[in-house]
Amino acid sequence: MCKAVAFVTYKEWSAYRTHSLVSVFVGPVYFMVQYFICTAIYGGNITLGGLEFEQTVRYFGASALIGYLTMDFADWNLQMLVRTGKFLTFTLRPMHHRFFALSQKIGHRVLGFFLEFLPCLFIFALLFKVEIIPRYMGWTVLSVALAFLMNFYVNYCLGMTAFYFVQANGIRVVYQLLGSIFSGALIPLSFFPEVIQRIMMFLPFQYTNYIPAMVWTGNNSIGEMGMTIPQAVLYQGIAVIFTALLSEVIYRSSIKRFTAVGA
Amino acid sequence: MVAIKAENLVKSYTTYKRGSGFKETVKSFFKREKVLINAVDGISFEIEQGTVCGILGPNGAGKSTTIKMLCGALFPTSGNIDVMGYSPARDRMKYVRKIGAVFGQRSQLIWDIPPVDSFAMNKAIYGISDEDYKKRLDEMTELFDVGEVIHKPTRVLSLGERMKCEFIMAMLHSPEIVFLDEPTIGLDVIAKNQIREVVGEMNRKGTTFILTTHDLEDVEQLADNVIIINHGKKVFDDTLTSLRNTLGSKKIVDLTLTKPYNGDEINGAKVIGRDNEFDISLEVDTEKQPVTEFLKSLTDHVSFRDISVKELPMDMIITRIYSE
Amino acid sequence: MRYIKIYLACLHTAFSRAAAYRLDFVLGNLITLLSNIIFPLATVLIYANGARFSGWTMWEVLLIQSVFSMSNALASMISGSVLWVTMDSIQAGSFETVLLKPLSPLFFIAAANFDTGSIGLFLGGLAMTVISASFTGICGTGGILLFLLMFISGAAVMCGLDLIMAAISFKWVGNSRIPEIFDSIKEFGKYPMGIFPRSVQVLSSLILPVSAVGFFPASALLGRLDIRSLISVLPCMLFLLFGVWIYNRMIKIYEGVGG
Repeated sequence: MCKAVAFVTYKEWSAYRTHSLVSVFVGPVYFMVQYFICTAIYGGNITLGGLEFEQTVRYFGASALIGYLTMDFADWNLQMLVRTGKFLTFTLRPMHHRFFALSQKIGHRVLGFFLEFLPCLFIFALLFKVEIIPRYMGWTVLSVALAFLMNFYVNYCLGMTAFYFVQANGIRVVYQLLGSIFSGALIPLSFFPEVIQRIMMFLPFQYTNYIPAMVWTGNNSIGEMGMTIPQAVLYQGIAVIFTALLSEVIYRSSIKRFTAVGA
Repeated sequence: MVAIKAENLVKSYTTYKRGSGFKETVKSFFKREKVLINAVDGISFEIEQGTVCGILGPNGAGKSTTIKMLCGALFPTSGNIDVMGYSPARDRMKYVRKIGAVFGQRSQLIWDIPPVDSFAMNKAIYGISDEDYKKRLDEMTELFDVGEVIHKPTRVLSLGERMKCEFIMAMLHSPEIVFLDEPTIGLDVIAKNQIREVVGEMNRKGTTFILTTHDLEDVEQLADNVIIINHGKKVFDDTLTSLRNTLGSKKIVDLTLTKPYNGDEINGAKVIGRDNEFDISLEVDTEKQPVTEFLKSLTDHVSFRDISVKELPMDMIITRIYSE
Repeated sequence: MRYIKIYLACLHTAFSRAAAYRLDFVLGNLITLLSNIIFPLATVLIYANGARFSGWTMWEVLLIQSVFSMSNALASMISGSVLWVTMDSIQAGSFETVLLKPLSPLFFIAAANFDTGSIGLFLGGLAMTVISASFTGICGTGGILLFLLMFISGAAVMCGLDLIMAAISFKWVGNSRIPEIFDSIKEFGKYPMGIFPRSVQVLSSLILPVSAVGFFPASALLGRLDIRSLISVLPCMLFLLFGVWIYNRMIKIYEGVGG
């Protein structure tokens, strides 16, 4: 069932393949700017925020690639379904909507893998000569997979806010705003003061990008706390389980509310 | 005097064939098959100043493309248009000051603010003097009876009220020719009539109207002349009286019977359509038999569960004209 | 003169529209402001970690980035909605209504859709510029005049980019990701030009003159504008003219001239 949904989504989005090609241009351009910034600021320093020059460059490359593998619109999509009342049709199907959405995401990201991830990977590795292949392949795959789920469950929870608030869109925008600062896509969290890094352990942002990107770069002492890779992945796993449970709790009460209101 | 003269108008579009399968898509990346479509295919006509001319035709017949060319929004691929001495698309900037246009489904009003603010913007755009603006606005709001409506935000207006404001917006600069594209689409009977009345009133004062529609009633109540277009070609161009003579005055009566009926005639009206033994369509010639009389005696002949009376649909008109 | 009058009338409607949805207006502006001024945070963090862009103090870099934000906002108010309006009306097939006005279609679209949503960003950028400048100090009246010249040039580039994007949307119908391409190019204007290799510098000051958006005007204010950079005023203006030309060209094709 998952395969069927994923495949349909894949076909559906194939129509927009020129949209994905935008990433192949945009990704490398941003990376280039980040590369030159790194070259400039590492002038006299050996390490910054605990990272060496090569590591930081690799971090930015990994961070972009992870984005292509894990992004989704589950939040926007679910909010739209609820607001327009189309969600009703899903309550009538013998399939949990969350499972349906996850299958959709898989299809969508398989497409992203071919049209965004692979081309950019080759550009980073061959054109920019970055050592982009992860040192610990197993841990990296695991960590990216967890980030994939993390992003999905968080966005799904955000999507469900539409059951409760009319202006749910604002919540999404605020999350995105915070995410753009604290996910690590702007700058590695290890550049932030220690206090903030500690607080971030308890918030979802870093588990979607910063942690997997650090694991990808092969850094075995992550941030001020000096987490090892297995430790970081363990925390990530806990965060995923917690968010998944949270999404289930919210889902149950949402459905109750949805059916009670009668939509 | 001739206001609009069109000669041999042609508008063609090039589109590309698109494959559906993966192989086809890849192929279309490199080599695309061109398809040439003539939306308007050699139409000529003249429209007299001070008249109302209806352009009829089914969807996709080329009506909109024709009107867009007449408004100056599109260049004809070949052929000539002369409107009051202008070539619309070429002299667009000067030309559009002289015309007004209402596109039934494309609002020119700004959604979030009262129409009167949109009017003020048009005042600046057309450079209407304060005096003319006030006079014209007062005149139009009175005609349409929308004195209060124009101060409410557009988004809270009913479709009919909004349409009236669209009309005012298009006529503030006192255009000599006004193009109406489906002006009564989706309106209720009262609003339709009000709009028809205003068009008639403005026409008596000298404004020329060109109107496309697929509502035959619009034409019957307003038009002096009718042009019918089908598949990009002109199939009829004459007075409304002549159209009536060609078609006769016919109405369609749809019946849902309670008992099956297989004959060819009911109450003197021909059966022209039959979905099944129960659902049949009759054509009533109202010159021989007025609708009211027909209905009065209908119950003597058959018993039915449902009934509706309609105008002759567009496709039927076109087949009739072809067969003449 | 007539065009100025029309523009003012359009501004009036734009503000009445904003006033009709006051809360949306305020929140929208706030969100635009916040999401556009996150990037200087990276600069602050870099300096907090003891690193620096060589030859530049933190406040000097922030000045570049503040000016950039301000320029971005100004262009966005003037021409930012041309892309979306064009894209929507091409898709909906309602572009003709624009052609029915006795005006340049481009002027009408830009004026009638003046974007009040970037006012907050403009004011925020202005405030940040003043604050940064109060730490760096500025270089006299000459500096301010040069700044204004470069700032206008930068805004011209931004508007040119908007128009080029809008022109692309005639052909690449419905691709909402077009702006991302141009946003990524603008990145090069947010940092001291010296950090980029020579070839990129030539590109960003003469061909796609995004350096004029933040870097050149800020340098002028600091009195450290390389006088040779003044030559980029020319490509900046050409860029805007090119944007106007290509957009009008697309309209011609749309109308069916030679298309």
